[in-house]
Amino acid sequence: MRLRLSDVGVRYGVRTAIHNINAGAEGGKVVAVLGPNASGKTTLLRTIAGLQHPTTGMVELDGARIDKLKPHDLASKIAWVPRVADVAGSFTIRKVVELGRYALGPSRQRVEDALSKVDLLSRSESLWHEASAGMRQRAAVARTLAQRTPGGVLVLDEPTSALDLRHLRTVSELLRQCASEGDIVIAAVHDISLVLDIADEVIVLKDGQLVLAGATKAVLTPSSLGDVFGVDLAWATDEAGNRHLVQP
Amino acid sequence: MKLKVVLLLVVLALFLIAAAVFRLLITRSVDGELSLAFPADNILTYRLVPLIAALIVGSALGVSGMGLQVLLRNPLASPWILGLSSGAGLGVMATMFAEHTTGNSFFGGQTLGAIAGAVISLLLVFGLSRRRGGIDPMTMVLVGVVISVLCGAGIMIFQHLVPMGLRGSFTTWLMGSLPEVESWWRLGILGVIVLCGIALIAWWGPTLDAACLSDDEAKSVGVDLPKIRRRLFLTSSLLAAIGVILAGPIAFVGLIAPHGARLIMRGSHRSLAIATALVGALLLLGADDIRQLIDFGTGRLPIGIVTSVVGGLVFLVLLLRGRGKV
Repeated sequence: MRLRLSDVGVRYGVRTAIHNINAGAEGGKVVAVLGPNASGKTTLLRTIAGLQHPTTGMVELDGARIDKLKPHDLASKIAWVPRVADVAGSFTIRKVVELGRYALGPSRQRVEDALSKVDLLSRSESLWHEASAGMRQRAAVARTLAQRTPGGVLVLDEPTSALDLRHLRTVSELLRQCASEGDIVIAAVHDISLVLDIADEVIVLKDGQLVLAGATKAVLTPSSLGDVFGVDLAWATDEAGNRHLVQP
Repeated sequence: MKLKVVLLLVVLALFLIAAAVFRLLITRSVDGELSLAFPADNILTYRLVPLIAALIVGSALGVSGMGLQVLLRNPLASPWILGLSSGAGLGVMATMFAEHTTGNSFFGGQTLGAIAGAVISLLLVFGLSRRRGGIDPMTMVLVGVVISVLCGAGIMIFQHLVPMGLRGSFTTWLMGSLPEVESWWRLGILGVIVLCGIALIAWWGPTLDAACLSDDEAKSVGVDLPKIRRRLFLTSSLLAAIGVILAGPIAFVGLIAPHGARLIMRGSHRSLAIATALVGALLLLGADDIRQLIDFGTGRLPIGIVTSVVGGLVFLVLLLRGRGKV
């Protein structure tokens, strides 16, 4: 499985959200997308997920243009987790997860497994509109797990922003597990420690332009990120000898 | 379909049968006394026609409302709130006025007028509510109210233009009332169209479930959103138009029936469409039963007044409870 972005640009009216992005990703890798607010991360992810047609350029998956895929084919190849999941209507958490199987046929086992992996099996009959932000975020991840075909693409927009420490660990391990099964996992993440922990590669955006890309440990340095985010950063080493980027 | 859902649908159907039997049997004597008696042959038709019309109109408006609520992802959407009923009403009035002034009957006449009016109204509401490629729910409700008011003004202009003798029948029609005289073939054709519309929406149930996700999420799980929205748009408009053709602009049934069905059961839109049709029919038949019991000494109340009073209060409760709570 290979994903390729060639000169991808997106304009909303007169405003250009992303400019001529060229990048690629291989199956088995976790790619983190970083950047300041309004740098074009969500637009880039939506374009990769086939939810936004590029104004210029193209996104290809194994040579096939994503914007030409039929809805069923798109669902079988690419799964999407939004920053804030939304459901209109009176659905249970289980029903929302079951919707991940809409195009691919029902699978009770896949839904049970997905709920179990994000620790929602015991809360699966809770109503969506009564669930906390963290539960909704885990349900969105579970829906993606129920939908995904191993060897496909997972695109996630800040999938851990509402999670507590335990569930953040759970979801980050799930993302690594999906990658180990051949998926391309692409996620926008603000937590630099998490990026260092799970991402094989990073793409850094600023003002809609790709400013840094490559292997995580090579790209993420105090000076490179300091330039992008406009803050001073430094390495700190914990008791186990792991290095973390911190603001001194 | 789960056994519990089937049982709930059976219970709803039994209530509907009870309301229908009550409507057939209830009799008010000349001195105003109520009794239950099987009607004589010459009266039976005058009870069966409004009863069947109530079943058709109630189920049509209810399922139309459910379709619109999914189409627009807005629990406050209904044919009446979005101006469909008024649009269809304006279409009917325009046709009636044209037929009156030319002295000719047009092919399809009021039926086509109502459908055209409903579709144009919904197109306007849909188009004017778009913001940055999406639909803003609050703008949509406000635009619906404005379209409704404008269509109401159009209806009043036609009322003003017709001779005095005709104004009374225009006004009665505008209050919403079930017909006591209607040809069986027309009832049959409209009934079959409504059944087909309900069956189609129920058939699309799983897609409607997935369409309740945000647009991006729905596309991501494989929903062809433009396709299902086109289908819902046309089917809901057609169902609302048929409601207006048979009974005039009846308020709130399209809003309350889907919420009533959701209160009774939580399930796929497949079973919910059937439940909504039953609740819609039950609401209108129940309202018809209620108006048989009320006597102000000035004849029976138009059914639209009963649905407006009950529906208005329920609508207020829904508004106060907030989005997505029902």
